[in-house]
Amino acid sequence: MTPLLEVHGLSKAFGGESVLQDISLRLEGAETLAVVGRSGCGKTTLLKILAGLESADAGSVTLAGEALDPLPPQRRGVLYLYQEALLFPHLDVTANLAFGLEVRGRSKGEIRPRVEQMLEELGLSEHAHKAPHQLSGGQRQRVAFGRALLVEPKLLLLDEPFGALDTDTRARMQQLFRQVAEQRQLPALFVTHDLKEAIKMGHRVGHLEKGRFRVFDSLQQLVHDPRLGVKEEMDFWIRLERQAEAPSAVPPEEPPETPSEASPGVQAPEPQTPELQAPELQTSQGKAPSASSLDSSAPTTPAKASS
Amino acid sequence: MAEGEEKGRLQRRLLSLAVAVGCVAPVAVLILLSIATRWPAGQAWPAELTGERWGELFSGRGALLESLVLSITLSLAVATVSTAAGYLTSKAIAFSPHRHRLLLLAYIPFAFSPVILGTCLLFLYLRLDLAGTAGGVALAQTMFSYGFAVIFFIGFWTPQKQAYEELVYTLGGSTWTAYRRALLPLSRGLLAVGFFQAFLISWFQYGLTLLVGGGRVKTLPLKVFDYVREANPYYAALASCLLVLPPLVLVLLNRRAAPSFGVSR
Repeated sequence: MTPLLEVHGLSKAFGGESVLQDISLRLEGAETLAVVGRSGCGKTTLLKILAGLESADAGSVTLAGEALDPLPPQRRGVLYLYQEALLFPHLDVTANLAFGLEVRGRSKGEIRPRVEQMLEELGLSEHAHKAPHQLSGGQRQRVAFGRALLVEPKLLLLDEPFGALDTDTRARMQQLFRQVAEQRQLPALFVTHDLKEAIKMGHRVGHLEKGRFRVFDSLQQLVHDPRLGVKEEMDFWIRLERQAEAPSAVPPEEPPETPSEASPGVQAPEPQTPELQAPELQTSQGKAPSASSLDSSAPTTPAKASS
Repeated sequence: MAEGEEKGRLQRRLLSLAVAVGCVAPVAVLILLSIATRWPAGQAWPAELTGERWGELFSGRGALLESLVLSITLSLAVATVSTAAGYLTSKAIAFSPHRHRLLLLAYIPFAFSPVILGTCLLFLYLRLDLAGTAGGVALAQTMFSYGFAVIFFIGFWTPQKQAYEELVYTLGGSTWTAYRRALLPLSRGLLAVGFFQAFLISWFQYGLTLLVGGGRVKTLPLKVFDYVREANPYYAALASCLLVLPPLVLVLLNRRAAPSFGVSR
């Protein structure tokens, strides 16, 4: 089966400093590949190359069997969503949603019903004529998301799109994205520095570090990868739970490194959050093995690049 | 308490009035002088008033109308070229890896005084047959206002603006669409102010115009000084009124343009 997206041997350097080294990955149909990595690890550069906003020094990119390298961003069918909603402040919500269709020369008769439908789908009908500054952060991000969906991209690139939102809004947006991606069978690359978000959003998770990219074949591999520090983090909370059951005991040792240093954005798990609550780990693919089973005998070497 | 507030309000009103009088009084005196036929020393009001000089101006009998048209044409051309070129150049500089070095070049015209730069340029302009021509003066003035425009617009080009441009591309828009539908509307207010400033740089330019124009390109500032040298205060006042009025009109237009920056549907 031909993969929807195939990236082969992609490399990029800025001023002699290598940012991406021999990156290869595949996206099989309508799946979301979450890419996790620290700030400055090259995540954004990777997305910009795929979108045609940056050129690669070496390598090739194929989307639905078509080589993307010679195509300008306008003709790739790849849409890039930023952390900031980037709504045009001089346009209201309706005009922002219609923007992509207008620049593609669609007729007003086609644009109007589609925008109205999108407003309804996103629950923004009552805000149709508001200016962007009159919307909340989550509403702005929903408009940006709707604007992207309206042009029906072949591939969606999301660059930490919910990074600037508060916890509740972020959770709602994550849910909305999963729902819409599922409904529309939308392939996506979801970049985040938050491993928890990567696990929640991706059918598969990849890790980018020092220009090298690896896709984990399983959650066991991810959990046991020492560079991510997930295992240490989990051990810490399990020990803490045991300590809480035996109040006289001394506090548990800190994990070897703090979460932000040990792993790219592994945030202190919130025990009440169902996604990371032991013993069952829920991902967008379904239930993952329990924390206790992950702890026992999983391979520690991640798979190379594509799966 | 109420008495203190009342006193404060009165002080603010007096201060506002003083500022208003300070701004309006010089212009009022100029207008009055331009319509006076005799204003004897020691008197607060002219002995006689006449609209003859203004009539003469608009009938085109004197040389003043020619200077006014020349100044307006020159300043509009200089402002248009330097605003457009400065806007685009500042973008190229802002996203260049050599940003700091290139920006330094834009400051060069300001490192010299206009007269010194004019003297340096004069030799080159003589060789190119540009000295003493309106084109030469426009070119010399553009050097200054272009450098100003580059420095003025550089702050606009943030990574966020670049992201807007890239967003238009991935949505399917061309470079022209990115400018027309995103970048120009985003910078509309700034462009108006930049144009206004560039216009003023050219409008009030004296030393450089005198040197490069060799006294033959009679813009309004040169005309004012000519009348002053001729000890003709009434015509000097009339020329000064003309010098002050266009910037005042632009200030009013700028004030009106700012609140109208609304949201389109």
